[in-house]
Amino acid sequence: MSEATPNVQEARRMLAKGIVIAGVGETEQGKLEGRGSFQLLEEVTKITLDDAGIGLAEVDGLVTAFSFVESTLMHSTTLADYLGMEPGYFASVAVGGATAPLMAVQAAMAIDAGLAEVVLCVRGDNTRSGISSSGMIAMAREMSHGEYEAPYGLTTIGGYGLLAQRYMHEHNVPQEALASVVATQSEHAALKWNAMLRDPVSVEDVMNDRWIATPFHAMDCSLVSDGAAAFLVTTAARAKDMKRKPVYITGIGEGYSHQYITSAKSVDGVRQGLGRAGRRAMEVAGVTPQDLDVAEIYDSFSFTPLIALEGFGVCGPGEAGDWVLEGNAKLGGALPMNTHGGLIRQAHLGAMHHIVEATLQLRGEADDTARGGGDHQVPDAKVAITNGSGGILAATSALVLSSEPPSAA
Amino acid sequence: MSEQSTKPAYTKPLPDLRPEGATFWAGTKEHKLLLPAGPDGTPFWYPRAYAPGTLEPVQWVESAGTGEIYTYSVHFIGPSKAYKGDPPHVVALVDLDEGVRVMTNLVIDQAPDYPSIDPADVAIGKRVRVVFHDVTDEITLPKFALA
Repeated sequence: MSEATPNVQEARRMLAKGIVIAGVGETEQGKLEGRGSFQLLEEVTKITLDDAGIGLAEVDGLVTAFSFVESTLMHSTTLADYLGMEPGYFASVAVGGATAPLMAVQAAMAIDAGLAEVVLCVRGDNTRSGISSSGMIAMAREMSHGEYEAPYGLTTIGGYGLLAQRYMHEHNVPQEALASVVATQSEHAALKWNAMLRDPVSVEDVMNDRWIATPFHAMDCSLVSDGAAAFLVTTAARAKDMKRKPVYITGIGEGYSHQYITSAKSVDGVRQGLGRAGRRAMEVAGVTPQDLDVAEIYDSFSFTPLIALEGFGVCGPGEAGDWVLEGNAKLGGALPMNTHGGLIRQAHLGAMHHIVEATLQLRGEADDTARGGGDHQVPDAKVAITNGSGGILAATSALVLSSEPPSAA
Repeated sequence: MSEQSTKPAYTKPLPDLRPEGATFWAGTKEHKLLLPAGPDGTPFWYPRAYAPGTLEPVQWVESAGTGEIYTYSVHFIGPSKAYKGDPPHVVALVDLDEGVRVMTNLVIDQAPDYPSIDPADVAIGKRVRVVFHDVTDEITLPKFALA
């Protein structure tokens, strides 16, 4: 199969216009009974527009995702109706966990094409309290091939487990490495105001937890949560009239290797497929892994960020487990990772919170002391990488964000 | 009353049948493992209308039903209530000797129920062979036991 050869210069040309994130917002996360899916989206819209210092009338583009609770084939325009707005550009993106960075790319392209100037990217759902039991089964089976995988009782957790066990086998990665990802992120979540799980756990706590599907204990798995998050994409010129220091999108990239886990050819094929997203985003941004100050890496399971770190070139193949065990991913380490706790400790909203957290880090505002959390700011953070993966590491989208404008291509 | 009527209803997931897979499922019902193959006879998985990457017509070849465990995950929780109370089941990817990878359950070769293998007996690289589990009158799932 031929590898796509997208034009890096053309991506740089678009981003050289100064495509920025000018506002972010997130609601409480967890079990938020009594708040519907669209209500949560409306709440976070208000928080995000307040952050940017603009009103709803100034938003002319709306990019949303999907809902596990509210079934609609026209999610973005359903939200536009609910919010009472008439966007000139609208799109609903649905590529599972890859959706959030793809929403940012969609917004950037709409701005570049002249379809909109101020694009709200918003995702939220009452997945935890609103989902029906048949919806839960559908979600558990979602990534299985209905004809050739589902009859064997595959769960999404076990699908990741199949890949993780082969990865651990090929590279001699110990169970402790997975547990170390959880322990590291639990220390970060303790400082994040809206993290669902605020109590730090040790490697031993994770190792002693109950099994769900090998090699994953319950604590290795991501959370199911209600909540919403959003980010506002516009131009640097337009952001001058807004309240916050803009954060620049300086790199974009995508990568794919398979849809069904049975179709994944090899561990290295998956690593290269998802790695292409991060490597290309860094190439477009003109940075290397050594230039990164903070990494908000999709963490559907404790294993997930390990193979991504390797795919992006932060670590060599099979080396990410030791890298995390040595403390490199901690606040104060070589490359602090998932400084908000991630999907494993904060909440699960795809990669939305990863983008929000990366933006806050680059604004120098990752200190939640005033809201009952703590200081998790990476000192002087200037360049961040963030990604999301849909399916079982099937499709990945990555962004490089920077506190500075892209250097002239 | 026929013998089947005393059989407890099978409540676990059944395949979402599609026309492209009819030959495969007709094969398993006769306890044959048929694989779709491209124009040069190279098998691929899973059945499609045309051979993937070529858009050429499909032919069918019979598998010897032997291979090795590529990876596995011991599932302590299943995807539906039908798994409640069961011992853990082992989901595996098996590399068949014909060069395709299929998903399956690792079981003990013990008709008619083919109970799950003891997870302690499973390891990546172990040789396995197909067994045919008739789960309903219509559907036979190919599963694998240690060779």
